[in-house]
Amino acid sequence: MDLTSALQIALPEVILALGTLVLIVVGAFGGEKSTGLVGLGAGAVLVEAAAAACWGPMGQAFHGGFVADAAAQFSKVAIYLMSAVAIALGAPWLRRKRSAKFEYPLLVLLAATGMGVMVSAGDLISLYIGIELQSLALYVLAAFQRDDSRSSEAGLKYFVLGALSSGLLLYGASLIYGFAGSVRFADIAAAVHAGAGQGVIFGLVFLICGMAFKVSAAPFHMWTPDVYEGAPTPIVAFITAAPKLAAMVLFARALALGFPGATGQWQQVIVVIALISMAVGALAGLVQRNLKRLLAYSSILNIGYALMAMAAGTEGGMQAMLVFMVLYMIDVTGFFACLTALQRDGRPMERLEDFAGLVRVRPGLALAITALSLSLLGLPPFSGFWSKYYVFKAAIAGGLWPVAVFGLVASVPAAFYYLRILKTMWFDEPAGATDRTPGDASAIGMGAALFSFPLVLPALAALDPLATLAARAFGLA
Amino acid sequence: MKLILTLLVFLPLLGAALAGLFGRRLRDRASQAITTGLLFISCALAWWTFYQTIWGGWPAHAVVELLSFIQVGDFQSTWSIRLDSLSAVMGVVVTSVSALVHLYSWGYMAEDPSKPRFFAYLSLFTFAMLMLVTANDFMQLFFGWEGVGLASYLLIGFWFKKPTANAAAIKAFVVNRVGDFGFALGIMTVFWMFHTIRFPDLFPQIAAHAGRSWTFAGRSWSALDLAGVLLFIGAMGKSAQFFLHTWLPDAMEGPTPVSALIHAATMVTAGVYMVCLLSPLYEYAPQARTVIVVIGAVTSLFAATVGLAQNDIKRVIAYSTCSQLGYMFFAAGVGAYQAAMFHLFTHAFFKALLFLGAGSVIHAMHHEQDMRRMGGLARYLPITFAVMTIGTIAITGLGVPGLNWGFAGFYSKDSILGAAYAAGAREPLGYFAFVVGTAVAGLTAFYSWRLAFMTFNGPPEWARADAHAHGHADQGAHALSDHATSAQIETHAEPDETPDHSHSGDHGHDLKPHESPWTMLVPLFVLSAGAILAGAVFMPHFVGPWREAFWRGAIFVGRNNKVLDGAESGPSWVGLAPLVASVAGLAIAAYYYLFARGLARRIAERGGPLHTFLYNKWFFDELYDVVFVRTARWFGGLFWKGGDQRTIDGLGPNGVSAVAAWAGRGLGLLQTGYLYHYAFVMLLGVLGLLTYALTVWAR
Amino acid sequence: MGLQAIAFYVLAVVTVASAFGVTTARNPVHSVLFLILTFFTAAGLFVLLGAEFLAMLLVVVYVGAVAVLFLFVVMMLDVDFASLRAGFARYLPIGGAVAVFLLIEMILVSGAVAERGAAAHVKPLSGENISNTEAIGRVLYTDYLYDFQIAGLVLLVAMIGAIVLTLKHRPGIKRQTVADQTGRSVRGGLQVVQVKVGEGIAE
Repeated sequence: MDLTSALQIALPEVILALGTLVLIVVGAFGGEKSTGLVGLGAGAVLVEAAAAACWGPMGQAFHGGFVADAAAQFSKVAIYLMSAVAIALGAPWLRRKRSAKFEYPLLVLLAATGMGVMVSAGDLISLYIGIELQSLALYVLAAFQRDDSRSSEAGLKYFVLGALSSGLLLYGASLIYGFAGSVRFADIAAAVHAGAGQGVIFGLVFLICGMAFKVSAAPFHMWTPDVYEGAPTPIVAFITAAPKLAAMVLFARALALGFPGATGQWQQVIVVIALISMAVGALAGLVQRNLKRLLAYSSILNIGYALMAMAAGTEGGMQAMLVFMVLYMIDVTGFFACLTALQRDGRPMERLEDFAGLVRVRPGLALAITALSLSLLGLPPFSGFWSKYYVFKAAIAGGLWPVAVFGLVASVPAAFYYLRILKTMWFDEPAGATDRTPGDASAIGMGAALFSFPLVLPALAALDPLATLAARAFGLA
Repeated sequence: MKLILTLLVFLPLLGAALAGLFGRRLRDRASQAITTGLLFISCALAWWTFYQTIWGGWPAHAVVELLSFIQVGDFQSTWSIRLDSLSAVMGVVVTSVSALVHLYSWGYMAEDPSKPRFFAYLSLFTFAMLMLVTANDFMQLFFGWEGVGLASYLLIGFWFKKPTANAAAIKAFVVNRVGDFGFALGIMTVFWMFHTIRFPDLFPQIAAHAGRSWTFAGRSWSALDLAGVLLFIGAMGKSAQFFLHTWLPDAMEGPTPVSALIHAATMVTAGVYMVCLLSPLYEYAPQARTVIVVIGAVTSLFAATVGLAQNDIKRVIAYSTCSQLGYMFFAAGVGAYQAAMFHLFTHAFFKALLFLGAGSVIHAMHHEQDMRRMGGLARYLPITFAVMTIGTIAITGLGVPGLNWGFAGFYSKDSILGAAYAAGAREPLGYFAFVVGTAVAGLTAFYSWRLAFMTFNGPPEWARADAHAHGHADQGAHALSDHATSAQIETHAEPDETPDHSHSGDHGHDLKPHESPWTMLVPLFVLSAGAILAGAVFMPHFVGPWREAFWRGAIFVGRNNKVLDGAESGPSWVGLAPLVASVAGLAIAAYYYLFARGLARRIAERGGPLHTFLYNKWFFDELYDVVFVRTARWFGGLFWKGGDQRTIDGLGPNGVSAVAAWAGRGLGLLQTGYLYHYAFVMLLGVLGLLTYALTVWAR
Repeated sequence: MGLQAIAFYVLAVVTVASAFGVTTARNPVHSVLFLILTFFTAAGLFVLLGAEFLAMLLVVVYVGAVAVLFLFVVMMLDVDFASLRAGFARYLPIGGAVAVFLLIEMILVSGAVAERGAAAHVKPLSGENISNTEAIGRVLYTDYLYDFQIAGLVLLVAMIGAIVLTLKHRPGIKRQTVADQTGRSVRGGLQVVQVKVGEGIAE
């Protein structure tokens, strides 16, 4: 395969990389004044990459290191668009905080590139490099407000623990290579099929541990609450959405393409991780009074659901996982957008008490938060209900009904903490006036709320067949 | 025909909806006019239907199907209007009394601020009652059954600001639930046996299942008898029979027109109607009929004895109703369904008359209900006096035996007692019913005349200046009587609502009784005519020689059941006995309350054991309070505090949530913020997963 | 058991021992020195495997750049290492237990790798007359071009990150601007002033 056609297949990444380089130059010469321009350019590059991913050719390139299939296509479009939303949410916020830098959109672009590499990874090397590219950008983003000690702390913790997880992942990858004699998923699958034995599965456990960190599944979740609390809110909105989808798709791709012969084995490990995640996410969320920490636990819980669907090890399970992640991504981005929009006396409103009686002060945003909370809770007809419906259906169809039952039980304490937000907002005495809400963040929050209901219904009609198509690319039964 | 029947049933609903939903906008007068007008139309249609069904060209049995209700497998139920002689008779009774009561309420409720609500409830009740009597399957019967229960509840508690009225409404509802439970079980038994709840499908099957039995708890139960008894329990609740009667006297808390319509003429007779409707079933359930006879006879005796000692004018009539319902039941129990229906028919007229007359008295006395504070009212209320006397004559069954002419009760009571005596030839229980019934006739005469004499004759107690002041003091003599008398004065609890009728504020107010307005008197006249003539006119049709042509198969009579023939050909002393008892009762009442005045009061004040026993209604309320209410509360408290709060809540929701919160706090503590702790947890996770994988995959 | 085997075991033992020394040494400077020793011996192991380019890379990059940078940082930062190590004894039992468990499991795994690993039988790519370096160079810029480029992006992120997190444009601090310096002329920079006695120069 010649380089031209390979580049065509990898066109989205090429666009992103070249766009990044051009924008770096623009930013470097334009200085602080060019921040807005770089932001706009980054958005344009992301949209263009999404379009390229959507209509570009399919196939494999670079000796199987890059795979463009329906799954990659599906997740790339979602990832790039969510990244664009992150820029739209974060850039104005940073400007309001007087810490606008042209590097912010660049880092988001680079992270998006990394995510694109991840979802297109066809071997262990691109898997690792993709993860590193994405993670490194996220570490920097988490510490972006370098004058805020909590932000720095969040970035540092994220970085150190991320390095540890990378070590685990690399160790697993080298074990796998040691057994299979190849880094390509297809070859690994063949080796496993030929009976490479337990050793390769051992490498798989390490690989799973490393990737569980990236999706913040328990017990590799410890960084999540601290990072969510410390990092700037719009950046958390980014961290919690697109990278999770990318990591989940990568997770699924590595397991489904690399180890289809060991489905029974990895299923058991994933089930355990899913169970622990659901338990931790549901229970630890109960005692949180900081909304960002609360959402961290909520994300752990929801990753538990997504892992449960994936653990089903079927095409239906993968489809459910994809639908779930996309719907969850929109919900949680909207939620964080609402948090971004809300300030009191120049300080962000993060604690539960700050939201007392919000409905009388900011009825629009309070309503949006209500819809999004109900959606996260899984109340019909909100989008969260449909995503959970897919996940539970897939889990039960895959014979994991005890896990599904556990998931249902776990959603009860979760319901408590979502409902407590609503109770605080609707029935408590107002805690005072809030600052003027910026239009951009409010618009994103309310848009997500509108999506959670009723836009989700037509969207689901399109999402369902697309996700089915994408799930077919994993080649499971 | 279909249109007429549909209008007949649904016009009251229309009235109820209009008055209930738009009452505020329509104002009082329009609501009254609409509901009353629609009911009079409905009444006219009912009489036309009655005429056409019995003597006209309409078929003996017709069903108008309106809508499907529940269709699940064999369980087929349809909203329909069943027309036969039974439902035609009931339709006439219900709509006539209801129409008259509507009209009467114009005057009686004139001072009430929420008239539209009252008339809406009345019309709603009428609709539910019509649904009940025209039901073609058990489901619709049950719907009507519950509908009238609901309307009854709403109307008893109509003056909802009065705590006693609320308590009475709840009591009526709860006691009826007990009956309804049996009723529902009965319906289930029927469905279980016959796989249908539709009457036309059910009745032909019954003969084939006559001997069937059902083994339960090691004993063999006759299935038909079981179904019959269970259904009868429902009837007991609705018709206030012994054991489940306690709600009826308390239901007198409702406005008097309600008492006349629901708790005398129509709803309480639903049980009797159901037993007659299910005559095909009861004819093959001898044990169930035995139960009915015993309960009916005991109720009639019990209620009559209690009626002797009551002082509240409405309560006396309520116990009288209870007693007369007992008559009807034992008539049905001995197999004389036609006689039961006949008594139901006549009773509706004279009992409604008595109630409305009592209402007129109460109205005149400014809502005074204690008969001890009346007296000598004949001078002031001549018309009421006249119609009450007619009603009393009718209920005591006075007539001229030689001429075979008398008031309504004369015929119906005679036919019942004659049938009971005739049934005695087959089974001795009939003689028991006859003896009890005759004794009760005497008691009925006594308390009915006592009521008349205490109210209309003698010195005017109400004129005494301190009548009201010492009212409660002299009630204190009856230590146990608090709950029985506390509600005797309707207005005491709602002085705000009817300021004109309130006399708690100003005792100097002119208490002179006044005759009621014409809207109240016209129904009294109409009902008087019914009380005088209903017996004589309809006797041949209901129970007499023409009964076959009248009922036309609506009531099933077994081949061996010759009770009504026997009633006609019985010895002449059987026919005379009730009359003699009645006259004796009249004589004793006259002696005590006309000629030897004060004797009765002295007996009452001395409070002998018998009087106390009767005055307190055989202590049934106290008994139930101890046996059911207190134990239920004790058990409820036990289950609530011990079972629910400590055990279930403690281990269940509260326990789980406490554990969840504890676990959450524990997990929160893990989140120390130290990097090396986090890394350590991650390594622990790796170790755990590796070990898990090793153990699982080592197999 | 040839010379190669003796060399391997010596190097391996030193590698493990010095790695242990990195974590246990009381003096952080000693830790870094142990680290450098580990890198060296690891490079020796690479040489034994016939991967001399990787060995040199390890020495140049890790020893020459990274470890020396570490050394500078450790020496320049005034970190209270005594307090950092305070919890050592407290966490030793449980940490030790976990470490021992992990060690046992890893030994099991490594044993399995040595026995049945497919990579153990993969022939080195080094052909007849192609050097190690050339072989890597051939695949790195052809087959693994993609990974190579993405790795470049990773480094770019690292650079941007370092700049974002550390570069500060503080106002009031003098910076060298070469263009300004060279563009400076006498007219703009020099002013001749007549100073009156007893008055001094007022701006």
